[in-house]
Amino acid sequence: MNMAFKQETLRDDYTFSNSPESVRRFPFPFDEDEYMYSVNIEPHDAGPPGSVFEHAIDIDEHYLTECEERRIVLEDDHGRYVALPHMMDAQWDMVELVMTNLAKDYPESFQLTQDGDNWHWVNQPLGIDQKFVFGDTSTLPMEPFEFISRQVQGDWVIMDQRDEDLFADLGIVTGQADWSMAFDAGMSFKEWHAPVPHAPEMGIFDRALKYLLHLQYGSPVRRTNWRMCVNPRLDTSSEKWHLWGPDNVSVTAENVAEKVYLRVELQALFRLPRSNAIAFSIRTYMVSLEDLAKYPRWIKRLYRVLTSLHPDLAEYKGLNSYLPYVLNWLKPQDDGEVLPKGTQPE
Amino acid sequence: MEKGYSIKSKPIYGTLVWQDHAMHHVVIAEGEGGKALLKLFQQKLPREPLSVLYLAADPQAEKYATTVQKIINEPVTIKDSQAELLNALKATLDSCYMGTQFYVAGTEGFIWKVAAVLRDAGVDDKNVFKELCGSLGRRLYCVHCKTTNENVHHNIHVCTGCGRHLIVREHFSRLMGAYMGFMIDAEVPGEIPAAEEIYP
Repeated sequence: MNMAFKQETLRDDYTFSNSPESVRRFPFPFDEDEYMYSVNIEPHDAGPPGSVFEHAIDIDEHYLTECEERRIVLEDDHGRYVALPHMMDAQWDMVELVMTNLAKDYPESFQLTQDGDNWHWVNQPLGIDQKFVFGDTSTLPMEPFEFISRQVQGDWVIMDQRDEDLFADLGIVTGQADWSMAFDAGMSFKEWHAPVPHAPEMGIFDRALKYLLHLQYGSPVRRTNWRMCVNPRLDTSSEKWHLWGPDNVSVTAENVAEKVYLRVELQALFRLPRSNAIAFSIRTYMVSLEDLAKYPRWIKRLYRVLTSLHPDLAEYKGLNSYLPYVLNWLKPQDDGEVLPKGTQPE
Repeated sequence: MEKGYSIKSKPIYGTLVWQDHAMHHVVIAEGEGGKALLKLFQQKLPREPLSVLYLAADPQAEKYATTVQKIINEPVTIKDSQAELLNALKATLDSCYMGTQFYVAGTEGFIWKVAAVLRDAGVDDKNVFKELCGSLGRRLYCVHCKTTNENVHHNIHVCTGCGRHLIVREHFSRLMGAYMGFMIDAEVPGEIPAAEEIYP
C-alpha cells in the first residue's frame, strides 16, 4: 500500500478530513434497516485489499494524526493509561502483537529484527529506532505497553482472564466514546459494560463473555459498534465531557452535514500467548454525514436505523440533542428503495 | 426511577452469615455495623478461631463494642480511627491462612476501604462478605478532576475539587470504592435540576 500519512488535528480547529478512499473503506456498521444490540462477533479474518479488514491491525492515513492526538491526551492526563502490576507479561505480549503485525503488513513503514530476545524496532513515520531486550523493561524508555501503544491507532484494553471472567486490568484509552478507563480499571467484564441499556437483560454480555473466555490464540475475532459525534473529536471521554458536551448543542440545520459524524468502532479481540489475557482493540473511524452521503445506500440505511432506534439507545449514545437535525437532513435522501442486506457502499 | 432499570456494577449487599467451612473468621465492622456484629453473634459463637476488629468512634458504637465483648468473651480489637483499624487489620492478616473468611459491616465507603486492604493481601473477594449498615452516603469520584468526594447524600453534588455540579451515576468501581460523578450541565451551563437527598 502506498500511504501518505496526513497531519491533522482532532481538537480545536479540527483539520481532520477523510480522503475519498478513506470514506469508501469506512466500516459502515448497519447491514439491515433496524439496529439493536447483538453479540455480532465474527472471525477477524483478512478482508479484501484496501479494506479496513485487510490486516489484523489497520494503519490508515490518520496514523500520525492519531499518534499525536494520543501524545497530547497523555501529556494532559497520564491516567488514561492504566497498568495494574500483575499485567507485565501481557504488556510484552502487546509489544509482540503490534510490532510483528505492523512489520509484516506495512514493511515500508515498520521494520522489526529479532535475534533471540534482542529486538530492533524501526518506526519510520514516527522516527523511532529502538533496540531493546524483549522481557527487560529497563531497556525501553517507558513501560512496554505504553511504548508500543503510543505507536498504534485505536484504544486498547487488555483483559486478564481469571475466575471465569475478564478484568480490565491494562489499557490505553484516549479516544473513547464516553467512558473512563481510569474509573473502569480492574472491573469485571459485566461491571465494565454495566451502563449499557437493555444489553445485560438481553443476555448479550453473558453470551459475549462465555464466547470470549474460549477465544483461541491465533483466531482473533471482531465486531463493530457505533455512535455519533459532533466535530471529529476523537477524545470524547467521560473525563472531558465538560469540554465536548457543549458541542452537542451547537448543531443547526445549516451545519449538521459537516458537523455530525458517524463514528464506528472496529473492535478486534486477540488471545495473547504468554499472559493468556485478551487484547481488546477499539479502533474508531469517523465520517461526516456529508461524506457518507456520497454513497446513497449508506445514507438511506442510516436514516432508517436512526428513525427506528430505541429511545434508550439514542439517549445512551448521546444523540438526543441533535438527532432531530440529523433526521431532517437525512429524510429527503431516502426514496424508500428496498436495500438488500449488507454493509457495502454500493 | 424507571421500573426494572438497574446498572449491574452496583454492589448488592447481603446479611452476614457465618461460613461453616471457614478455618478462621475475621470480622471487621464500624459504627452502626456493630448491630450487624450483634446479629452475627446471635446466630452462634463459632467454634473456629475468631478475630474481631471494630471501629468505635462515637458513644453508640462504644455501647455496641461493650455488648459484643461481653457476648463473645474473647478479646475484641477496638479502635477509634479508621487508619488505626485498617493497620490493625493488616497486622491480623499476617496470621491468616487459606480458609479464612472475612465479614465486613459498615458504610459503603468503609466496606470498600477494608476490601482494598484485603485485596492487597491477596484475599479473593468471594471470601469477603459484606453488610451495608448506617449511612447510605456515597463516595463519589469526579471523573473530571479525579477528586473523591466522601459522604455524598444528594443525587447532585458540588465537587469539592473542581466545583462542578456532578450527577451521581449508578456505576460503581470496586477498586476505587466509589460511584462515578460527571458534570450535569455540560451541554447547557447552568441547567441544573434541584438536588434530592436520596442517600441519607
